[in-house]
Amino acid sequence: MDRGTEAQKYIWEGAIPLQIHLHESEVTTLPPPPPALILAPRIGYLPLLVPLIKPFFSSTLPPGVDTVWFDYKGLPLKWYIPTGVLFDLLCAEPERPWNLTVHFRGYPGNILTPCEGEESIKWSFINSLKEAAYIIIGNCKNVMNMSQSDQVELWCSVMNGNLEAYLRISSKLKLGPGGDEFSVKLNSSSSLKSRQSALETDTTGPVKTGRIPVRLYVWSVNEDFDDLEDAPHIDNWDKISYINRPVEIHGEDKYFTLRDAVKTLLPEFFAEKSLSDDEISMPEVGDERGLPSEDANSMRSAEEAGETMCQRVESCCPSDNAEIKLLRIQGIEPKLEVPFAWVVNNLMNPEHFLHICVYIKVPEPVAM
Amino acid sequence: MASESPSSSRKVVVHLRATGDAPILKQAKFKIAGTDKFAKVIDFLCRQLHRETLFVYVNSAFSPNPDELVIDLYNNFGFDGKLVVNYACSMAWG
Repeated sequence: MDRGTEAQKYIWEGAIPLQIHLHESEVTTLPPPPPALILAPRIGYLPLLVPLIKPFFSSTLPPGVDTVWFDYKGLPLKWYIPTGVLFDLLCAEPERPWNLTVHFRGYPGNILTPCEGEESIKWSFINSLKEAAYIIIGNCKNVMNMSQSDQVELWCSVMNGNLEAYLRISSKLKLGPGGDEFSVKLNSSSSLKSRQSALETDTTGPVKTGRIPVRLYVWSVNEDFDDLEDAPHIDNWDKISYINRPVEIHGEDKYFTLRDAVKTLLPEFFAEKSLSDDEISMPEVGDERGLPSEDANSMRSAEEAGETMCQRVESCCPSDNAEIKLLRIQGIEPKLEVPFAWVVNNLMNPEHFLHICVYIKVPEPVAM
Repeated sequence: MASESPSSSRKVVVHLRATGDAPILKQAKFKIAGTDKFAKVIDFLCRQLHRETLFVYVNSAFSPNPDELVIDLYNNFGFDGKLVVNYACSMAWG
């Protein structure tokens, strides 16, 4: 039985420590209630925590009907985005515990779509799963034809963070991410040499082997910052481009990297210059956590790619190219040389979407 | 689909189809900017049909998130040069 990869287990067990404050406008008692400390699963959704949070604050709330929502430094948080993704996106420099504010009144209906608690989230989850299935296999009959009990069990496995139960049910959907054989091939062909030959074959005639559903959260910044602590605060959702595009993986043994995937996903930033494979600079802030086994190879190829990049930059496009300041998936900042298949197989969310947060520094704002 | 230009500046033809007992619109096809969110399609339908809530689907299959861009939906799920959007007054596809 499939018990999931090591990385999948980390992700399913991953949680963000939250310190939740009740908004001052809803405090009717003195002294005000202390904040609630709670662990929020990465793959979970904030409104699912409400039954745990409510007891901390119920005695102080003003009369009225609950319409619960959260904000971070004044930005209302979109409830359908997994908690881990919100944290990765909005906390450039990870803040632990993450200080959020909960509101039980005054739902900002102009910014957030209505949320009826767990039912809304389940609805959103199942619809995302259908979308993913449609992208992967061209229809979503398998999801639509799921038995009611399987659907309930699948949803419960996500709510309870039960990876084994999830894998058991979701394997029936036949949405396997490219298959293990595929990823083994990709992982084994890690030398630059095989990569180059693969690139050559790609230009002659790609073989379609798979589409990977991706949700991208792109924040393009004009101002430069050296340290993530100095990154400007995201105070408006209009600053984030929410992009849903599949990545097509071609060929059989091509060493298709995360860098390649990002380039095909964001032609607005990288397309015209894609003659070179080395346009995207390394994330300067990338930390060294997280990715076992690939590190040795990717470090070496990173250096080599870096050299090539300098030459290219001097020769073709001086200083006006976009630069990836940060790329974060499931709380880690993978090196861009990591095989994309590894990323997909290990870092995707249970609804079969890969959520990628990207900060891109651009000289001028790009209209998406 | 993905080989087409993903440029979001283009317009997308949306084909609106009634499902169940939802009223049929006189005009079923509309052009909408790719940069618009799906929420705009939903709002448009709600206004046309004078309803506060509607169930809105793509390809008789799923309800996209209102925040998704129309161009992304077209590139992912459109065919024959249009995006098929179904609407119903009650839940049609769970």
